[in-house]
Amino acid sequence: MTAIDDTPESNDPVPAPDAAPDVDSREAAAAGRKAARHETLRLLMKRPAFIGGVLIVMIWVVCALFTNLIAPYNPLDYRTGLNMSPSWSHPFGTDKGGRDVLSRVIAGARDVLKIAPIAAMLGVLGGVILGLLMGYLRGAFDTVASRVVEAFLSLPVVLLALLAITTLGNSNWVVIGVVATLFTPVVARTVRSAVLAERELDYVTSARLRGESSLFVMYREILPNISGPIIVELTVRIGYAVFTVATLSFLGAGPPPPSPDWGAQVSDNYNSIVAGYWWSTFFPAAAIASLVIAVNLIADSIERVVKS
Amino acid sequence: MSDVLAEPGSLDERGDPATAALAVDGLELAYEVRGIPRAVLRGVSFQVRPGEAFGLVGESGCGKSTTAYAALRYLPENAVVQAGRVLAQGDDILQMSKSALRKFRIEQASMVYQDPVQALNPTSRIGHQVAECFTVLGESKSEAQASALAALRRVKIAAPESVMDRYPHQLSGGMLQRVVIAMALASDPQLLVLDEPTTGLDATVEAEVLDLVRDLREETGAAILLIAHNLGVIRSMCDRVGVMYAGRIIEEGSAQDVFDNPQHPYTMGLLNAIPRQGLRKTDRALFTIPGNLPGIGSDLPTCVYVDRCPIADDLCRTEVPPKVSVGTDRWTRCHHVERLSEIVEPEAVVTEYEIASDNVIELDGVSKTFRQRGHEVPALVSVDLGFHEGETLGLVGESGSGKSTLAKTLLGVHAPDEGGSVNLRGRPMQGKAGDRIQESIRAISMVFQNPDSALNRSWTVRRILRRTVTKLTSIRGEEADERVESLAEAMRLSQRHLDMRPKQLSGGLKQRVAIARAFAGDPDVVVCDEPTSALDVSVQAAILNLLANLQNDERTSYLFITHDIGVVRYLADRIAVMYLGRIMEIGATDVMFSEVNHPYTEALLSAVPSVDGEAENRIPLTGEIPSPANPPSGCVFHTRCHRAIAGLCEVTEPEMVELSPGHRIKCHLTVEQLSEPIEISPADVLAEIADLPD
Repeated sequence: MTAIDDTPESNDPVPAPDAAPDVDSREAAAAGRKAARHETLRLLMKRPAFIGGVLIVMIWVVCALFTNLIAPYNPLDYRTGLNMSPSWSHPFGTDKGGRDVLSRVIAGARDVLKIAPIAAMLGVLGGVILGLLMGYLRGAFDTVASRVVEAFLSLPVVLLALLAITTLGNSNWVVIGVVATLFTPVVARTVRSAVLAERELDYVTSARLRGESSLFVMYREILPNISGPIIVELTVRIGYAVFTVATLSFLGAGPPPPSPDWGAQVSDNYNSIVAGYWWSTFFPAAAIASLVIAVNLIADSIERVVKS
Repeated sequence: MSDVLAEPGSLDERGDPATAALAVDGLELAYEVRGIPRAVLRGVSFQVRPGEAFGLVGESGCGKSTTAYAALRYLPENAVVQAGRVLAQGDDILQMSKSALRKFRIEQASMVYQDPVQALNPTSRIGHQVAECFTVLGESKSEAQASALAALRRVKIAAPESVMDRYPHQLSGGMLQRVVIAMALASDPQLLVLDEPTTGLDATVEAEVLDLVRDLREETGAAILLIAHNLGVIRSMCDRVGVMYAGRIIEEGSAQDVFDNPQHPYTMGLLNAIPRQGLRKTDRALFTIPGNLPGIGSDLPTCVYVDRCPIADDLCRTEVPPKVSVGTDRWTRCHHVERLSEIVEPEAVVTEYEIASDNVIELDGVSKTFRQRGHEVPALVSVDLGFHEGETLGLVGESGSGKSTLAKTLLGVHAPDEGGSVNLRGRPMQGKAGDRIQESIRAISMVFQNPDSALNRSWTVRRILRRTVTKLTSIRGEEADERVESLAEAMRLSQRHLDMRPKQLSGGLKQRVAIARAFAGDPDVVVCDEPTSALDVSVQAAILNLLANLQNDERTSYLFITHDIGVVRYLADRIAVMYLGRIMEIGATDVMFSEVNHPYTEALLSAVPSVDGEAENRIPLTGEIPSPANPPSGCVFHTRCHRAIAGLCEVTEPEMVELSPGHRIKCHLTVEQLSEPIEISPADVLAEIADLPD
């Protein structure tokens, strides 16, 4: 329980009568907005979880961008020994195909960091559009769309995705499209409920009374005010997307076998755990976990700051 | 004649603090926000003697609610008490152990909150919740049931047995507040803290609840600490009053003394800002207090009021004003008590408010029926209403009387039923705003009750105004920018405010932006839906002045919806009284307040607690407003009318009759019958349960 929801901008005292000229004041306002954003960032930087999450994500981003510089070996190269245990020359060992696990884990960041954010963004975009329409228009459209969304949510996600990918082929774009489609209804529900609260406010009535179109009210008036939950939704969805993409490639719906994909690596090698070759499964799995956790740490911090 | 009392922070001399029902001594309290303590109370000291009613008044943010909560140590986690004591019967409750505090709250003190809906558990029956208060005191289940029933009887609820079995959502706000009061009195507390107990209630219900508290106080002898921003409520309820400002009490004395003869510039400002004693806009502008309350946690000058005080001088800036005695048990914190007479009232207005004779807008037989689960709910029933150019038409009535529906139909939020029409300068308009031609949309605009909700919080003020200008007029480009700037200037907003977002503005400034937007299209009619009810009195005064001036300059007509009789009397040229979707009375303001009224108006006017302390002869409105889905037969008001004639009023619906030119009422009674004084029997003040919807 907090007694005052105090923001530095509120309770602005009445200004001196000789207010600054117009140009200055616009700059001042822009500076004010910048200050507000700066404040949000400052609050985020005070959260160790956020910093930790960002650091882990940064490590993977660097790995993805500079794979060739960082990876000690070519991730596709066959080494001399199969299933070599971790050593100085191969810190994560080699897998059953004799490839260096460290290099493959580093290279594997590239695919997932390309696919997951794009898929999440497209899914959130679709969800925002659908949710705005449902929440603002209400009526028959909302009723029908809500039932469809609920029906969609009741289906097993992975099954649906596998079905789509086996039908459409497993290019990166298909994976992106499938994950985005899976996310759209979930996001739509969140956005819908935010819009429902927002449309009851008088500024929406006011806009309608001056003859604004529904599109204008939805996208110009309402959308900026629900950006908080949307940003939170986006970060949460990126975390889910990483996991979904890895799951799909584990199930064989990802890029074809030689490519250094984390999910595919786990699926290729997990049979050899029983033989004691744990490293070829453990390190890609740990990579997936670290990225999912990192993104969720960031999402959680953003949610707390946005809602405070 | 004035004597300097003991140093600030010390207790007042009205007896030993150890025997006081509540003694707050030099209390300093801060809320920690993001690790930084922000001072809220800065040395509050007062005493409530046993059996006494003490009122705290002040504007929002002055710390009065925090003081109330501190009195029972109901403080949020981030509250830090930095200094001071809170004594109840001599025990410092700030030092009490958890169990002692619990015992204190159970046995000695109770609190009644602002919103009874939130104070009660929605999933539990009333009887069970009231009985809990008695089981906590050690009674057995059956004893507690009997005590609960008695407690409900005590707060004058009719049919308490049936109330016991109901859930909170089945009762009205007034009933719920009675239930909360019944629970608060369960332990016969020595101290009852009421935090804005009637703020969310209609004036008529407010009057009933206040009557009840007054009666119970005589019965139980409990000391009362009453927090209210409504000075009339404090005046009618309290023996003593403390005026709070920026976390300090700046004046204290008997309620009558303080309100009739204020001795601090702030108290004077507050009292002068209220439209009262029959003041009209044609008499003079309202008194306003320039500037704002110092923000929570900001550094305070020596005298907290110095920046807004009209008589401040160097002494006020360098020395903390001591407590200056200005009578028996009466003090103020001002260096210049002898110079208070220098504060002058605003000068009389010379301009005449001209009103044209032809109607700008006419509602012609407008009805509006909503459909709810197959039932027809008539919210408006053949309303005929017209207003002239430059006229303010006040619209009053209880919640649920159809005021807002009338406004929304006029604005085109929803279309009226077939057969009625809204005419703009004689020509009928389309029902829905979306179907109306540009000219009709431009002609009517609205100022909403709550500026926080009415302004898009992610837009700058400039964008809000500019969009409205370009949408409603043919002004474009640089001319539109100029129009926005001149609008802002007319509202006394500075250029700096134009680039701010609503969150960065105070409540009064936000409402100015909302008014600027309403005027952006140069409208003929502005609908004002309680535009000042969310604002403090000093801000309200400035907004009312602004509206009056704008009307004079722009020749705009207002439809002014309000609960506040003082405000409507000040601003309106004519007043219409609504009940169950019908206009029961309409007439010129001075006529309404001098001649006989419709019995409903009579009851409404008598319900207002006055800060002037005029003699009260309150006519209670028994029961709740009937459901519009099932209106009473004959005259819709006969079920609650104190003058109803059996065999006539419940059979025939009366016609509108003209009492004098322009003054019409919907009533069977003659002027002679209406002017007979009436007797109120005690049975009339029972709160009855409304008919439950099926």
